Amino acid sequence: MDRRQFNKTLAAAGTLASLSPFGIVRAQGAKLKVGVLLPRSGTQAFIGQSCQFGADIAPAVIKQMMGVDIELMNADTETNVDTARSRAERLISEGAQVLVGPFDSGAAGAIAQVAEQKGVPFVINIAAAPQITEQGYKYTFRNFPTAVDLVRNGLALIGDLFQATSTVPRTAVFMHVNDTFGQAMAKGVGGLMPRLTQLPFKIVDTISYDPAAKDLTVEVAKAKATGADFLLLVCRLNDAIILRREMVKQRWNPMGIIGPGNPGMYENQFYSALGKLSEHCISNVPWYNPKAELTKLIEAQMIKQFPKEKLMFHALNVGFTFESIMIAADAYKRARTSNSKELTEAIRQTDIKNRMMIGGPIKFNAKGQVEGIGSAAIQNLNQRPTVVLPVAAAEAKPVFPVPGYVKKS
Amino acid sequence: MSAPASPLFADRRAIGLLLALLALLLALPALVNSYILSVAILILYFAYTGQAWNVMMGFCGQLSLGHSLYVGVGAYTVAALFVHYQISPWVGVWLAVVICTLMGLVIGFLAFRFGIGGTYFALLTIAFAEFTRIGFDHFDWVGSSGGFFLKVESHGTLDLLNLRGSPTMFYYLALAMCAAAFVFCAWLLKSRAGYYWQAIRENEEAAQALGINTFRWKMLAVGISSAMTSLAGVFFAFYYNNLFPEQIFNISRSIEIILGPIIGGIGTLFGPILGAAVLTILADGITELVAAMGLEIPGVKQVFYGVVLLLVVMFLPHGIWPTLARKLGLGQGSGK
Repeated sequence: MDRRQFNKTLAAAGTLASLSPFGIVRAQGAKLKVGVLLPRSGTQAFIGQSCQFGADIAPAVIKQMMGVDIELMNADTETNVDTARSRAERLISEGAQVLVGPFDSGAAGAIAQVAEQKGVPFVINIAAAPQITEQGYKYTFRNFPTAVDLVRNGLALIGDLFQATSTVPRTAVFMHVNDTFGQAMAKGVGGLMPRLTQLPFKIVDTISYDPAAKDLTVEVAKAKATGADFLLLVCRLNDAIILRREMVKQRWNPMGIIGPGNPGMYENQFYSALGKLSEHCISNVPWYNPKAELTKLIEAQMIKQFPKEKLMFHALNVGFTFESIMIAADAYKRARTSNSKELTEAIRQTDIKNRMMIGGPIKFNAKGQVEGIGSAAIQNLNQRPTVVLPVAAAEAKPVFPVPGYVKKS
Repeated sequence: MSAPASPLFADRRAIGLLLALLALLLALPALVNSYILSVAILILYFAYTGQAWNVMMGFCGQLSLGHSLYVGVGAYTVAALFVHYQISPWVGVWLAVVICTLMGLVIGFLAFRFGIGGTYFALLTIAFAEFTRIGFDHFDWVGSSGGFFLKVESHGTLDLLNLRGSPTMFYYLALAMCAAAFVFCAWLLKSRAGYYWQAIRENEEAAQALGINTFRWKMLAVGISSAMTSLAGVFFAFYYNNLFPEQIFNISRSIEIILGPIIGGIGTLFGPILGAAVLTILADGITELVAAMGLEIPGVKQVFYGVVLLLVVMFLPHGIWPTLARKLGLGQGSGK
């Protein structure tokens, strides 16, 4: 080695040494290993696979946006809390530096414990049980509203809808599916309604029905007999289809059908099964902002990777799963290390303004719960889910009362 | 359907093998990583619940498809006492056992007193598990459908009194439960109850004709089985720290409980343990193998479960253990 070579080597070593305290070299050379836990089989398989699209498109979009390399480590929780826990253990033992998932509160609780024990950050994509972030976990973060916030946002949007359409319905009949989700939502509606005094309507009757019901003749007849101005409906997909058909059969045309925070009426199968009958149903749910730059980027990537799929039919699942990986990538970029403590601290300091979902910037409170996620009023227009509220994100104006509504004397 | 009983631990070789297995299991946490330890905990958990279910079905011939009921009620009882009144699980467990035993006895009484047997009895057990689930969905004191959560301590904690600790602690707890259940069931099989149960299982009318009070002995089997299963619930509550009626009372959990003994060998002592080990290890192995091949096939484990069950029913109708025991020269008795 001559003097010049020696000097070059020394300069290179010096540069490396000066950068290493800031972790620049450590972070930029490596990929962030993200363990993605989703229920891709079992009873929640349909939703888990939908969420997986969000994870699968994340590496390319994040690389383009942030220059961060992501390596996905996928694991199927099989809609089973035991499996969720052991898969989380496996992912960590295989080198996952952050965990993301799992679209289920029970599984989230089990994974959170593993994350705490191993000191690995865990970003929940979808799970609404409020208690998850009340446990004092240090490594668990949730980028999803709690069940209470979900209903509160959904009901508040009903008031906005009436204001936007200059309507004042006085009565509603509340129908809900009688399963765990439906019961929880019903409880939320029952608890919040008396406090939301700005809402002009009263619930004149509450009718629950079996989630596996093949016929809703009696329930719909009962609801129609109340003479309520509109139908407040907490449903799932299959019962929503049966119920809508029955309403047409019985010629019940209320001012509209509004879901205060539930799936069912914006899903692809709802449109394909009902065609024109699916029109004008409204669902107030967390949704992506169709006008956001990030949404356009993700939609383009989705078309590229999954040409047969449409983002609008996976909106909530893709959006929150993508965002949870983005939170990890953003923290990794700022921390410049995958060291779990520093990465966790960086996630805690998250402040992402350029986001996909409707709501304020992604910021976590002291408990690891994100605040300020909003909901959007999604109305079925031209057989596709269309954002009609909030105005800032709206693609069209809300239609309420729906065509065909005949005001009773 | 079930293998006949034989004297307990009559074979020194069997005892030697058992002790070697126990030694290996005792040393396991020091030998494996946390993932394998979590799989081992699952195996022991299902081996224990399988053993508890085996008392009712394997020994006495009463098919229950609703054992998740006792897991759930046991779990909720102890967890609620712990969360609301800070009562140690070692104290709360007694109440859980009493409640679950009473529930088991009520179901048993309704069925046996009114001559409900076979598949109708199985349906009754499902019905009880289902309406209990619906009840807990509306039971606000334990979080109803929104779930019931136990406070999680930091991972360095080791508080045996309150069952707060690392997976290693839970592993040894599951091992102790499994070993105790094995010894207890071995003793039961050798007891008068064991012989009466087997007589009832093989031919209830004949047993009755011989003067056995079948109602009384069937009730005893149900009581013991439900009491044992409630302990699994206690373990579940403190290991997972969150309970949801939809999950814990679900019929799929009852099916998970019974798969081990069916695959391993109904009515045998070692069958539930072997079945749990085979199913868990092979299912995880299949998942690993598929992943190593670069494939992602969600649900492969469920397909595998179906295929294994089919093969066992077709080629090993008594389960794996009786055949394996014969090949190992350990006899085919349920005592081994």
